[in-house]
Amino acid sequence: MEPGEEFGPWLGRQLQRQNLTQAGLAAKVGVTRAAVSAWITGRAQPRPETIRQIAEAFGTDLTTVYTRVEDAVPAHAVTWYHRPAHADGGREFGNPAAFAFDADLGVLAREATQNSLDEQHDPTHPVRVRFTLHELTGEQLANFLDALQWNSLKAHYHAAASSGQKVSRALADGLRELESSGSLLLLRVDDYNANGLTGPEYGDGRFAAVVRRQLDNHKVDKQRAGGSYGLGKATLWAASRFGLVLINSTLSEPHEGRTARRVIGRLDLPWRQVGGEAFAGPAWFGEPDSDREFPGVSRSWWAVEKETADLHLEREGDAPGTTFLVVGAQDAAALAAGDDGLQAMHDKLCDSLSENFWAAMTGTADVPPLLQASVRTLRNGKELIPETHVSPDERQPALARALRAHLNGTTVEEITSLTDVVSRTVPLTVPPLRSEGRGAQPVTHEAVLLVTPAVDNDLRPNEMVSMRGNRMKISVRRPRDLGVGVEPFQAVLLAGFATGRTGSDVGVAETFLRASEPPEHDRWEYTEELATAYVRGARRRLDEFRAAADAALRSVVGIRAAAPADGSPPELLRKLLQLAPGGSGPAPRRRGRGHPVIDDIDGSVDESGAWVLSVRIAVPQQDDACRLVAVPHIGVDRADSGARVRWRELTAMENCAVDGDVVVVAPGVRSAAFTGITDVDSHPVAPGMASVSVSLRKAEEGSTRS
Amino acid sequence: MSRTLYPYPVLFGRPELEITRVRVDGRQLDFAKISHSQRSVALDGIGGTDDEKWQTATLDVRATLPEEEIADGPWSELHCVAVLEEAATETRIVRRLIKDRASGTWQGSVPLHRSRHRSRATLGVQVVAAVGDVRGRLIGRSENDWVLDLQEQLPVRDKEIDIVEVDFRDGPHVWLRPFKDAPWFIETDGDMPTVYLNQGVDGLGLLLRGNGGPAEKATAALVNAQIVSDAWVTMFHAAAGDLETDEDGNVRVPPGWRESVLLAMLPDVLPGLSPTDALHELLARREDGDGWSTLQARVQYAASLRAQLPKQLAATLRATTLASEGATR
Repeated sequence: MEPGEEFGPWLGRQLQRQNLTQAGLAAKVGVTRAAVSAWITGRAQPRPETIRQIAEAFGTDLTTVYTRVEDAVPAHAVTWYHRPAHADGGREFGNPAAFAFDADLGVLAREATQNSLDEQHDPTHPVRVRFTLHELTGEQLANFLDALQWNSLKAHYHAAASSGQKVSRALADGLRELESSGSLLLLRVDDYNANGLTGPEYGDGRFAAVVRRQLDNHKVDKQRAGGSYGLGKATLWAASRFGLVLINSTLSEPHEGRTARRVIGRLDLPWRQVGGEAFAGPAWFGEPDSDREFPGVSRSWWAVEKETADLHLEREGDAPGTTFLVVGAQDAAALAAGDDGLQAMHDKLCDSLSENFWAAMTGTADVPPLLQASVRTLRNGKELIPETHVSPDERQPALARALRAHLNGTTVEEITSLTDVVSRTVPLTVPPLRSEGRGAQPVTHEAVLLVTPAVDNDLRPNEMVSMRGNRMKISVRRPRDLGVGVEPFQAVLLAGFATGRTGSDVGVAETFLRASEPPEHDRWEYTEELATAYVRGARRRLDEFRAAADAALRSVVGIRAAAPADGSPPELLRKLLQLAPGGSGPAPRRRGRGHPVIDDIDGSVDESGAWVLSVRIAVPQQDDACRLVAVPHIGVDRADSGARVRWRELTAMENCAVDGDVVVVAPGVRSAAFTGITDVDSHPVAPGMASVSVSLRKAEEGSTRS
Repeated sequence: MSRTLYPYPVLFGRPELEITRVRVDGRQLDFAKISHSQRSVALDGIGGTDDEKWQTATLDVRATLPEEEIADGPWSELHCVAVLEEAATETRIVRRLIKDRASGTWQGSVPLHRSRHRSRATLGVQVVAAVGDVRGRLIGRSENDWVLDLQEQLPVRDKEIDIVEVDFRDGPHVWLRPFKDAPWFIETDGDMPTVYLNQGVDGLGLLLRGNGGPAEKATAALVNAQIVSDAWVTMFHAAAGDLETDEDGNVRVPPGWRESVLLAMLPDVLPGLSPTDALHELLARREDGDGWSTLQARVQYAASLRAQLPKQLAATLRATTLASEGATR
């Protein structure tokens, strides 16, 4: 009996589903109860004729019994199981792990993607992550809530929302909004080429760590992993207004002989009382377990396609990985700003992915990227915002270029052009662990600093990004002491596994740096873990590392003041004798403009070829009337150039008077306007062939200046 | 292009120009001599000795144009050109740029022949197109042009006045000998003004560097301010003396340091006048002679402001008062 599940467990489950005892089956098939028991424990196998009878007994076909990739008997109806209240009377009014994070889509994108990266299944291909915002209204919403058995939850929600605690208020808001707006926002996070939620239902394993336990950091390759406290998944529940997340996983290793469509839902509510019974926090959506140990508890079930489709959980293809569906997605910042627009959320996800994972998304022809990410937005199944593939070259071009040069081995020693990437080594001395005992030696690890000139559309130049492990961004610093007027640059510091090297020092350095990170994993500092695990001097090593990185950076971009051959002239003299090309000098004291200027010119060429211009001027506070001559110029290249021409007509429009060729502005007037028509005969070129501008002069007493 | 009207539609967005690489006589120029943030290139001090002066520098440039605006607009037969010019030598070189399909930028290279330039050349980009029936109309130009300086070793945009310390009596400059008793001399004939400090005056250099206690520092600051004030007065008069009018009646200022000095000082010398008006006034007073003497006092005042003389004097007074108080205590 070949593929699919082992016959024994499969048979056992079919019996449970039908509520048939071993004796009952034995009678139907015409064997002894002992024989059935032997089948179930795997000690014996039934004969081919008997298999046909077993198939009949279950009302299914032979193929199903032979291949055992499906169940012969449909599952017991899926239902919600709520954990009963504690026997000791204790109550939790919220999930503490969820409080560690704000409901923030940016943080969720970071944590969820980091977890997906840490679970990479096939290292020769990238992990694909896709975020989908899906708004449901009307009939689609009703169908979804039905599939979710929302009605059975209502009583629990209302009970939880009425307790007056902080969590309850948020729940109450969410429920009210659902009723009034008739729309619900789902956020779906898919990963492909990840391990999926493998392992047993309740015992140690990925599944239990995510679904049933708090703070269980079950990562197989603990060394390379980004996160380390198991807090990350709490962001998913924190992002749901209703504390409700559905999960569909395709497993990389079979469980119960199956891999596809392992589905379960989990709900986190505070303590509540419903129908006279008290319930503690979590609840699970699944098949009632007929296992004697956990009777009635909802466990994951192997869903059929229709079920996953109704719950909007259907995955594409059969690559392993997990789909999380956050029901009622929210973003605290967007709510506070009053803008929960889908475009804003879509952009926020893109920005967070790009900012945190540009390095993982960078690859070369020989070294594929670790991650591919995209974001899309749907409404009732139709695409609202097209799928955006997050590209590091678009958003962080200089950083991506730096990393690519490192992966390709095309870094240089000195910068000679805009696209060069310089590589320098930065030593990190890792102190020995306390557990290694006396005589243990420190280990030197060579981290890599990459520096490249920044391009114009880099939003934040002059920063050093530090990373380790799976190219996870740890911190972004703005180093000082580089000298004023440094040319804009971007720098990346790669440590541990991020250097791409192998060697015993790499793992040691990685562990050391990981121990120096706080729960948020956003800097390297002196932590408790560091103090207890390593010998004295760990803190100094970290400081030395930071200083060495700064020194390496300075050696590349720092201003080398050109020392003149002889002693330099006195400093103060030099400073005061500076000339700017435009001519503002060393002491541009801000004083008001003391003279009238042109504020605005507008106009066009009329049929006769003359320019018809309306001019607005701004005049400073004066005690006397201001007499100005406005002179039009044709063929203007710079200010006040071009040939002067005459006015045919000059008319005052606002706040001024015209006296011959002079515009008179009364004292106290700040702004005036007039129109003028040029005299075509005085134009040096054909009409419509040259530009025009107007300049202002103070009028001389008596005659106008020539 | 603000406040200038064109009889045909022009671009609203500005083209931008970047210099990506500079080769001097075929050799790559050290990237430290190109400053993107200040948009300037220093072309002096290349190579070993002064005898081997380079002949030609080739600038590889890349321009970005407002492409969407161009695509939507009424312009056709688009050309993009890089323009290298220096007003002092009346040099103007125009090179067409070719559009690179891959990146969407316009690229090309511009030659700079050292023999055709004196001190500073500017490099910008212009966009030319056919509008209506007329071809070759200028529809856009870059705003911040690059400055290529043949006399500077470091790429900076602001020029500094040279300060040279020599012995007037025994030093290399024969023409300084008549001034051997003067502590300093300001010369304005060359391309850049130069302040000569007389090393023959014992201790002057040391004094000016102001090492020592507060009294020494205060004195140093005061003497520095005096020198700077003298320099500005001299430069102002030298620049004012070079003013001319052209046929249109516009006043022409020789470009370079003279323009910078006048523009810097005129707001204080002749307040309340626009720069053009002030230049006219200055010229008129110089030629008529009327009002020239009253101008002198104002020039002195403006120069002392630039030298921060009031501030230094106040600091010195404070320092000396404190010192004398300290002595009596």
